[in-house]
Amino acid sequence: MLISLNWLRDSVDVPAEVDPHELAERFTCTAAEVEDVHRIEVGARGLIAARVEAVSDLPATRNLRLARLDVGDGRVIETVTAAPVLRVGWNVVYAPAGAAVAKLGTIGQAKVAGRASVGMILSGDALGVEMAVGEALFAEPALAPGTPLPPEWFDDWVIEIDNKSITHRPDLWGHRGIAREVAAMYGLPLKPYPVVAVEELAGIDAPPIPLEIQDPQAARRYSGLRLGGVPTQPAPLWLQLRLGRVGMRPISALVDLTNYIMADLGQPMHAFDGSRVERIEVGWAAEGEVFRTLDGVERTLPPQTLMIQSQGRSIALAGIMGGLETEVSEATTSLLLESANFDAATIRRSAIALGLRTDASARFEKSLDPVNTVLSIQRFVALARECYPDLKLTSPLSDCFPNPFPPVTVKVNRRHVTRTVGREVPDDEVRQILGPLGFDVTAGRRDLSVSVPSFRATGDVDIEADVIEEIARYCGYNRIPEVLPQVTVRRFEPCARLEVERRTLAYFSGAARFSELHQYLWYDSAWLTTLGFEPGACVELANPAATGLHRLRQTLLPGLLAALVRNRFHYEACALLEVGSVFERAEPDDAEFRHVGLVCARRQKGGENELYHRLKTALEGWGWECFGRAVSFGPAAVDTARPWEHPQRTAEVQLEGRGIGRLSAVPLELKRRMEEHLTAWAIAWAEVRLTGLEKLSPRTEALGRIPPHPLVELDFSVLVRREVRYAEVADRLREFTHPLLRRVAYVGSYEGPALPQQQRSLTFRVVVGDETRTLVEEDTAAFRATFEQHLASCGYWTRR
Amino acid sequence: MDIEQLGQRIAEIEAAVVARLPSVANVDDLRRVENEVLGKEGALGALITTIKEYPPAQRGQVGQVINAAKGRVKAALDGRRAALEAAVADAEAAAAAAFDPTLPGYVEPMGSVHPVTAVQWRIERLFERLGFTVEAGPEMEEEYYNFEALNIPATHPARDMQDTFWLTNRKVLRTQTSPVQVRAMLKYGAPLRIIAPGRCFRYETIDASHENTFHQVEGLMIDREISIPNLIALAHTLLREVMERDVKVRVRPGFFPFVEPGLEIDMNCQICAGKGCPTCKQSGWIEVLPCGMVHPNVLLAGKVDPHEFSGFAFGLGLTRLAMMKYGIGDIRVLNSGDLRPIVAARRLEGPVVAAV
Ligand SMILES: [Zn+2]
Repeated sequence: MLISLNWLRDSVDVPAEVDPHELAERFTCTAAEVEDVHRIEVGARGLIAARVEAVSDLPATRNLRLARLDVGDGRVIETVTAAPVLRVGWNVVYAPAGAAVAKLGTIGQAKVAGRASVGMILSGDALGVEMAVGEALFAEPALAPGTPLPPEWFDDWVIEIDNKSITHRPDLWGHRGIAREVAAMYGLPLKPYPVVAVEELAGIDAPPIPLEIQDPQAARRYSGLRLGGVPTQPAPLWLQLRLGRVGMRPISALVDLTNYIMADLGQPMHAFDGSRVERIEVGWAAEGEVFRTLDGVERTLPPQTLMIQSQGRSIALAGIMGGLETEVSEATTSLLLESANFDAATIRRSAIALGLRTDASARFEKSLDPVNTVLSIQRFVALARECYPDLKLTSPLSDCFPNPFPPVTVKVNRRHVTRTVGREVPDDEVRQILGPLGFDVTAGRRDLSVSVPSFRATGDVDIEADVIEEIARYCGYNRIPEVLPQVTVRRFEPCARLEVERRTLAYFSGAARFSELHQYLWYDSAWLTTLGFEPGACVELANPAATGLHRLRQTLLPGLLAALVRNRFHYEACALLEVGSVFERAEPDDAEFRHVGLVCARRQKGGENELYHRLKTALEGWGWECFGRAVSFGPAAVDTARPWEHPQRTAEVQLEGRGIGRLSAVPLELKRRMEEHLTAWAIAWAEVRLTGLEKLSPRTEALGRIPPHPLVELDFSVLVRREVRYAEVADRLREFTHPLLRRVAYVGSYEGPALPQQQRSLTFRVVVGDETRTLVEEDTAAFRATFEQHLASCGYWTRR
Repeated sequence: MDIEQLGQRIAEIEAAVVARLPSVANVDDLRRVENEVLGKEGALGALITTIKEYPPAQRGQVGQVINAAKGRVKAALDGRRAALEAAVADAEAAAAAAFDPTLPGYVEPMGSVHPVTAVQWRIERLFERLGFTVEAGPEMEEEYYNFEALNIPATHPARDMQDTFWLTNRKVLRTQTSPVQVRAMLKYGAPLRIIAPGRCFRYETIDASHENTFHQVEGLMIDREISIPNLIALAHTLLREVMERDVKVRVRPGFFPFVEPGLEIDMNCQICAGKGCPTCKQSGWIEVLPCGMVHPNVLLAGKVDPHEFSGFAFGLGLTRLAMMKYGIGDIRVLNSGDLRPIVAARRLEGPVVAAV
């Protein structure tokens, strides 16, 4: 929202020496965030009002016309202008030869399209008001031609307040409310608001407007007034300039006046053509009703749309926009002025459903003060009379107020104030702070009783903490010395889930040398099609970020594979890691699980075996590191729905005998589908479910020990047929028991020319020893014989 | 064998050894030769056992002859050993001289964590030093914890479709880490000190500075006398720690339904040092820490008595902080999966000769 400093000065005498930037900074730190402060410097010099006497086309040009202007003292000049609309008898802002504005420099005389052109009619744009190209600002007719227009009308400071920072403050949606805060900040008085007394408005001797509110929950108050002697002349120039400064385009006297009140008090108003509206009813739109708003658009009304109706016929979208049929036009001679108060949620809901957010609806959504319906009419009449002395009131102020907000009085415990602010705030200081903001403070023995002004009592301030905030922000957040808190020490059970995740991430990104990355939570359908993966039932988004992004992931693999494709040109090899959530449909509640996903890839045909073992090594290390337990790998039935599972290379990752994940390599077929170049790559992957593992308390690992007597290492190479699996051999070795046996470890495997065809040699290191004595040669020889006997009984050859 | 024969035999042995020595190429071979000659069963060594074959009167002389021979052989062997060792030392010295100790180490990729994780861990360590515990909550959150419990009623604008990712099961992807506040209060009661880092989601159009998926850290502290100055002091400590330098803070009112009073804590822009730049929209300040005193309704939702206890809560934009700390200009790179902008090049590529 834009605030004009000139405008603000109507309500508070901000001293000339106050730097607007400083004011903005103080406002930011006390009330709401100022986003920008800038100077409007029109640089007007020598401008005057000039009356249009005649306008004629210049045939040789496309859009230029010749205007004859009365410039005062009986002088009439001719000037060429691009202004699209000029009305005879209205005043324009005229720069005689020698006058200047910053945007155009000094204005002179010129020959344009063969005609002598003296001076210039200034466009809104040249005066810093956003209008259509060339469009001129009209000055009020009361100004005699030749009247100098003072430069200070044009120059101003504009303060832009972040709308998001005042969503909870309906009172700050106009200059008056901002002025109240500024006055309080600087300890200045808030000047009286120039209004016409209610008594006068209520006392008009004419029939009141029949008003009816069907649902007081949706419409708290409706106030109206009929006016005759409707102005057709433009609003005063100063008023138009102010509207321009706060980003509103001057349109016509009536629109400008109502907009001015809205920007002044924050209360939206609407003017109906009085001849077309007999009475006012506030009610709900009929089902499927179609209504034409004043922007000419026909709109089908969603259910629960609040309407202003007259004898059952809709005439406005309550709080959002008026209707075309009752719009004021040039033919309008009488007005029905509306100033109402609607329920915030109702207006918000309709505005969203209609896709129609207006300045009015934006304000009603904040829950406005119902007191302002009448106050705004009082102000409107005062302002309009000032501009248009011919204005007549043709009805008394009519008011239907079935649903006032209850007055709010809050008990404030002094101890709670001290506790929050961090120091004691004496009653006098509380009064000094709250008084200018409109609060009344009555001191009780323990509590303060604070009555909240109506403009803060519509949901903004209703509990003690709200009042304490007012006190605290005026004590000055940046003036309170920082103090670290005094605390109660207590012990917390560590969050088991995070412990597991942290250890997992630390291990894989550290010792195992993976690079962590983050992926989105949802599948990309296009990518799944590329992969040939049909995920089945997923937890789904009702409003996905884009088409095809509606399914939440059940596995981290598609994302990791996509990341691999993205990185393949930049690296010869990469190891990718992600820890994140996956989701599963379940009864009665859909479930979320935490997973770790790992992908190891290298540009090397046939490197799968090595990568697979690298991953296996990493997972084994992870098991010890995170849980003090051995991870094992069991046979797995390949999930054919998941194209990244290799038909031969897939294993189940197990901990404590329970399957917790999968280890596999990406089959050639999938590499081809993903990206032709990846066929030259080896890709292994693993995915493990961490959820559930938090219950495994990390076991303390037994440390190594120095045996009392030396151990002896004996190596055995076991010759087996190539298709015999290591696991099978290891199982058989585990069956062997012997009092001297300490450990059997795998050393390595060998295939090659030194061996018979189709044979493989697996080497094991067997460690033997005795706790009570040193072994002698006979012991080891006897052991060797027994062990070889066992191997032979298993059908294995021993290779010497 | 008489003494004369013995002398002759010894001379032969000695001559043979001396003749062999020049062809002995290394110390191991030399040791073998020494053993063959001087060992118990060696050519000379074995002669000692023949002493008892001589008459007692001669034995002394025999012994002397043998020992003298052994001494000479030993000296010859030692001479050769010294020569061999010198040669080895020379070769070693030559090799060392040819060695280039300035060659870089091997290229072995290092692992790395995501920049957001790195900042998150730093913050977790800080808060653990301050006696906070670290909590987690689900990313798929119940509407109640994401909204109602945080004093965000059904009519609040934050409930709009356009800000929240709704699931068809009526749950939401949490829009903030704040739901953990109430979950933690219910789990632990007061007094309480937690932080809760995690991923959040907002229905938002993605561009260089907006993401629909980002990280926050929630902070919550509840005790008997918690004040706004406490909150500011802690926030200042936090920002100094994360940026690893002293920073200035500015505190101003802010509005969030779950705190009252609500505050915004700004940090002086680290890019322009407060002078004004596009990142701080020329203001010199960066909004980093929305926070405030926990709203009594939120305390009540967590079954904490607002009369006995007060507390503060804050939500720190981890993603933004990581971007500022690492100078990441485009937020989209963080979830893109491209390693280049999120991993230090040297971690993956090893030592480089030069880089610009
Ligand atoms: Zn900056």
